[in-house]
Amino acid sequence: MSNQAWILETRGLTKRLGGKNVVNEVNLAIGKGEIYGFLGPNGAGKTTTIRMLLGLAKPTKGSVHLFGRDIRKERIPILRKVGSLVEYPSYYGHLTAKENLEVVRRLLGVPRSRIDDVLSVVRLTKEADRAVKGYSLGMKQRLGIATALLGQPELLVLDEPTNGLDPAGIQEIRELIKSLPATQGVTILISSHLLSEVEQMATRVGIIDKGNLIYQDGIRMLRERAKSRIRFGVSEPEAAWRLLLSHGYEAAWDRHQLTVERADDRTVAAIVTQLVRQNHQVYRVEEETASLERIFLEMTGTEGSL
Amino acid sequence: MLKMIRSEWIKIRRSVVWLLSGVSPIIALAIGTFGYRPKGGFPWEEMLSLLSALHAMLFLPLLAGVYAALLCRYEHAAGGWKQMLAMPVSRTQVYFAKFVILMLLLAVTQALLLIVLLIIGATHGIGSPIPWGTLFASFAGGWLACLPLAALQLFVSVAFQSFAAPLAVNVILTIPNVLVVNSERFGPYYPWAQPMLAMLPRTDYGFGAFHLSMETLAAVVLGSFCVFFAAGWAYFTNKPV
Repeated sequence: MSNQAWILETRGLTKRLGGKNVVNEVNLAIGKGEIYGFLGPNGAGKTTTIRMLLGLAKPTKGSVHLFGRDIRKERIPILRKVGSLVEYPSYYGHLTAKENLEVVRRLLGVPRSRIDDVLSVVRLTKEADRAVKGYSLGMKQRLGIATALLGQPELLVLDEPTNGLDPAGIQEIRELIKSLPATQGVTILISSHLLSEVEQMATRVGIIDKGNLIYQDGIRMLRERAKSRIRFGVSEPEAAWRLLLSHGYEAAWDRHQLTVERADDRTVAAIVTQLVRQNHQVYRVEEETASLERIFLEMTGTEGSL
Repeated sequence: MLKMIRSEWIKIRRSVVWLLSGVSPIIALAIGTFGYRPKGGFPWEEMLSLLSALHAMLFLPLLAGVYAALLCRYEHAAGGWKQMLAMPVSRTQVYFAKFVILMLLLAVTQALLLIVLLIIGATHGIGSPIPWGTLFASFAGGWLACLPLAALQLFVSVAFQSFAAPLAVNVILTIPNVLVVNSERFGPYYPWAQPMLAMLPRTDYGFGAFHLSMETLAAVVLGSFCVFFAAGWAYFTNKPV
């Protein structure tokens, strides 16, 4: 694939720290207008990767191209088109939100009116003249996003933007991020250790585990990998299980429930007919979809959070 | 470069550093008001020695360290380095801007002390013509002699996340000043002693490192400044954030 097609592309990106490849041969590819969910457990190498994308750390090996240009050679022109929020929002506590934005505005050289624009995007206009040290974490995160948006970037890099927020705050940031490609016309790279967080907004996902990119594709392909199974509630499940096996169905009986893997509508109808013919009483036919979360856990082999 | 300095300016505009810059002049005000005893024919020079002794020996080197640490503290505390360096600016611009602001703060400190000196002189009724040349040489010299120390402290403050560590180093290395300034061999090469050697009027003192010519001192100051600044700059350019 030609690198012109991608807003961001890495090839064989590797970072070696303390004798270990914390990022190993990672090939990311992000297209224009996407919301790319960059997922992985804590310590999988997400932040290290993002630091290299922004030129904050040097790769041991491999290359980073943004807008088709090499970050090592054209860092400043590239960064002019990138807004970022890495790990946690950066701010100067003794300054107000407006002053914090002014610090950045002077570096970017954008018109003063942008400050009011971004403040209204993140709905901080009313609080803009208060010192930031009195802000809640959610407000600081929103200010961080406002800062990232200040230069009208074409690519927005948000590293764990909902980290440490309460559920209401998470919801708020999520809605905000979701609205950005439409209202601000940006491509977004958002990292998270929680799949559920990006599931609802990402168009594509990349999953990194122990420094390796183990999956990268559309979120729909991932959903298709989520195998669904049909659970049958019947009067005599063990007998029913034997019956289904004898007819060649992929049935399973674990002494609690009778399930059939990957059954389409026609198969389900045929199974029910069989059961009824053999005088089984059918109480329930339920579909059980494995959550995406579980697929991630299987992929990354971690418990609890990704 | 200018946009970088203008951006830095907002950060310190309403910061505690301004209170610190007033500490030494206020103490000098007290010393000058109560401690001045006219002796001979050079009242302004005497006043200058009186006020600048403590300032140049202790406060100026200490403040160089405190200012440097404060300028970096904002960046260490809440990820400011990361945010700044992910912007379309070069690391060289960032480092130079920090140094310019640091020297600016030291210049403000010097200016405040000069104002205090003039006020006290006036209140004591020192009438003879103000020796502008001597005063200017003393204050500007003291300021310029801070260059190596400021470069060194900025280097240390950038390198250490901790606010206290570079300050502790600075305090420990400032105290020996009392002895070092008297040493002809070591005095001029000791960055913490250089401001005092440059600032005290030459006429009054003729011992220790004060023997040295201004030219020698200037060469040492300039040389060590270049070395320290280049080291800090190179370090910062390659520092992963």
